[in-house]
Amino acid sequence: MHASRLCVFVQISSACTYVACIQPLEDLAAVTPPEPHITECISRDQATFQCWWSPGNFHNLSSPGALRLFYINSLASEWKECPKYVHPNRECFFDNNHTSIWIPYCMQLRGQNNVTYYNEEDCFRVENIVRPDPPVSLNWTLLNISPSGLNYDVMVNWEAPPSADVKTGWMRIEYEIQYRAGNTTKWDALEMQRQTQQTIFGLHVGKEYEVHIRCRMRSFVRFGEFSDPIFIQVISSKGSTFPLTLVLVFGITGVLILVMLIVSSQQRRLMMILLPPVPAPKIKGIDPELLKKGKLDDLNFSSTGGGLGGPPTYATDFYQDELWVEFIEVDAEDAGTGEKEDNQGSDTQRLLDVPQPISHHMNIGFSNAVSFPDSDSGRASCYDPDVPDQDTLMATLLPGQPEDGEVKTSPAPERLLIRTQTAGPQTWFNTDFYAQVSNVMPTGGVVLSPGQQLRIQESTSGTEEEPQQGKEHKGSEDSEEEKEKEEQFQLLVVDPEGGRQAAESNTPQMFAPPSSPIPGEGYQTILPQPAETEPAATAEDGQSPYILPDSPQSQVFARVADYTVVQELNSQHSLLLNPPPRQSPPACRPQHPLKALPSMPVGYITPDLLGSLSP
Amino acid sequence: MMHGTIRSVSCVWVVWVCLFFCSSVTMVGAAPICANAQGGCHVLSLANLFDRVIQHSARTHGISNNLHTEFEQYFMPSKNHIGRVSRNCHTSSILTPNGKDNAQRMAREELTEVILKLLVAWRDPLWHFHQSMAHHHDFNNFSSNKALEMSNMVHELHKGVEKVAEKMQVLGIISNTVSSLVSPEALLASDSSEWRPMRDYDLLYCFRRDSNKVQNYLKILKCRIIPEHGC
Repeated sequence: MHASRLCVFVQISSACTYVACIQPLEDLAAVTPPEPHITECISRDQATFQCWWSPGNFHNLSSPGALRLFYINSLASEWKECPKYVHPNRECFFDNNHTSIWIPYCMQLRGQNNVTYYNEEDCFRVENIVRPDPPVSLNWTLLNISPSGLNYDVMVNWEAPPSADVKTGWMRIEYEIQYRAGNTTKWDALEMQRQTQQTIFGLHVGKEYEVHIRCRMRSFVRFGEFSDPIFIQVISSKGSTFPLTLVLVFGITGVLILVMLIVSSQQRRLMMILLPPVPAPKIKGIDPELLKKGKLDDLNFSSTGGGLGGPPTYATDFYQDELWVEFIEVDAEDAGTGEKEDNQGSDTQRLLDVPQPISHHMNIGFSNAVSFPDSDSGRASCYDPDVPDQDTLMATLLPGQPEDGEVKTSPAPERLLIRTQTAGPQTWFNTDFYAQVSNVMPTGGVVLSPGQQLRIQESTSGTEEEPQQGKEHKGSEDSEEEKEKEEQFQLLVVDPEGGRQAAESNTPQMFAPPSSPIPGEGYQTILPQPAETEPAATAEDGQSPYILPDSPQSQVFARVADYTVVQELNSQHSLLLNPPPRQSPPACRPQHPLKALPSMPVGYITPDLLGSLSP
Repeated sequence: MMHGTIRSVSCVWVVWVCLFFCSSVTMVGAAPICANAQGGCHVLSLANLFDRVIQHSARTHGISNNLHTEFEQYFMPSKNHIGRVSRNCHTSSILTPNGKDNAQRMAREELTEVILKLLVAWRDPLWHFHQSMAHHHDFNNFSSNKALEMSNMVHELHKGVEKVAEKMQVLGIISNTVSSLVSPEALLASDSSEWRPMRDYDLLYCFRRDSNKVQNYLKILKCRIIPEHGC
């Protein structure tokens, strides 16, 4: 029953002491001794107990009655025989009367002839051999299921073994629940429990669990037998878990598709919101996008029949508002700096003394020329697509010039507007924004034909003249790329009524020869005097770049084509204009600056050009 | 201004929370226990007292079990040898019921007296046991601390059972014949030096048994007097 072993102290240090135990090999092998011996003694209720014996290898003693059991305790003075034999089991049962707790018992086997098989180890106290019966009435109830429907909790309850007297407190029992999933072999043990119920948390839906229980006396070590297992299983209703995942998957997919649809359909709008476009350079009447793309023939001034041309890449409202805001300048001389289009209209009217309301398109085009991707007005597309100079657009071929001489480079149009409006409006004759240069004065002024329908010029015409003229005043301008091609030149606006608008500078500084030839240009303006670098003081004090020619020349305006191509310069440095065929597409041929020019519209100068070209 | 208001509100809130929790804590029983409800001390119910002493005795028995197992590893004595068995513990002179029936038949007052006698009888031996263990370098500090703890617990258990007895007498559950201090048997057991020749291991052996007896008797007493809770 008890294996003998030898234990010794092994003292490593003063603080460490080990105990080494050696068990003889023969004892290991002879767990079951060959002679008759007591196998086990167990008490179930701490009031009775039983002992079993085995004859060992002595098979001749295996018959019932061959061996007899004797016991002794401290109360007795001699060995007594087993009070009750259960021979089929080789068991001896000690009832209440023969059981005393807290006193040692020793067992002995005796055979025939008083042969005694006695082991000193077979002594015990009854409270130490107590192994309670397993609990009974084990069952479970479902507590709750997790919201995901995958886990649940159960409450397991049972009853104390009937043989254990817990009601009187004679036995104090604690219980241990063990459970395992159906397909595993390892049991999970829960904490020792003194109550007759316990909760098991976190079981998985769909799995089958096996639960059993055992108990022992409190503060003792020996457990009783396990109870019969019960099986716990909760089957998930397919409607709870299955659609959940499906719903999630489909929901997420649908949301993704929706988002993609929205993004793809509102791509432009989103791009506008996320990446607001950079304000493009403002050229009245010219769409910078077209300039960038080089489609000069697509450029179209907005004034022509509401030619907004192709659909703008971006909402024109953005540009319009933007430029309107920029155009509005608080100017002391400005009568009304309030709202945009009305002011523009009034300014334009004032500028041009045009009684009729300026067309919205014109106004808009005037100020928002840069934003409008104008349609192709039919002009030849042989202008240099690289010409970036939008400011040279002579959208403001205005007859008149305020005395404000300094021209800013970029928001050019409004300068021109404001400048122009300061001049006496009454001196202006009734012209549109764009006027055709019908003649060139010997002094260098350009005569504009009045009352002609404006046609939006292609920017190259302006850009060509700009670089020719702006070259002299390069130093006075910002070194922007568009300015390097700007040539200052003055355009004269002819007033058929004869009023001179502004004193024209004596320096016929109209058109400098294109000293910086623009490659690929098919059209080059001929300027009267090359290298006119002298800024005229008269021009700088705010003279209008537009100079009215003498009255005799005004007759030329009677019936001239809208646009005239400056063919060549004469000896007097005057522009010789050939009446071009109406709306004939200009020939795309690179021109010597002094050669005949294709019927391209005369270039326009922007206010900055005007300011800088002031001699 | 708002900062001050917030601060005052938070202070009031903290104070209220403290009061709430402190009151709930004191209700658990942090106040001194007194048998009679006077002097402002918190009065525990008899059931509560019983639970405390029973828990205490269970812990005492657990420690004695552990120490006994450790001793067995050190000394490999023959277990439960009849020779050792026949050697009496010094508390053998105290008559204790040795069976369930005997214990249940015993009167409450007797049972209470037995418990008290046992506890009194073990005060000195356990103290000396701890001293001898502390002096022995063979045992580590863990065992020595356990012996000291065991000694203290027996002392506290004795005082607790005394209080239980007082309460029971006040409540009229038992008669006023219980008086452990003047019992001659108890005096005999505690003053006698029977335990002195006993070796440490035998002391542990005997105490392990007696602590189990105390635990058992207390439980029987409690379930007989107050069968409602935990029986």
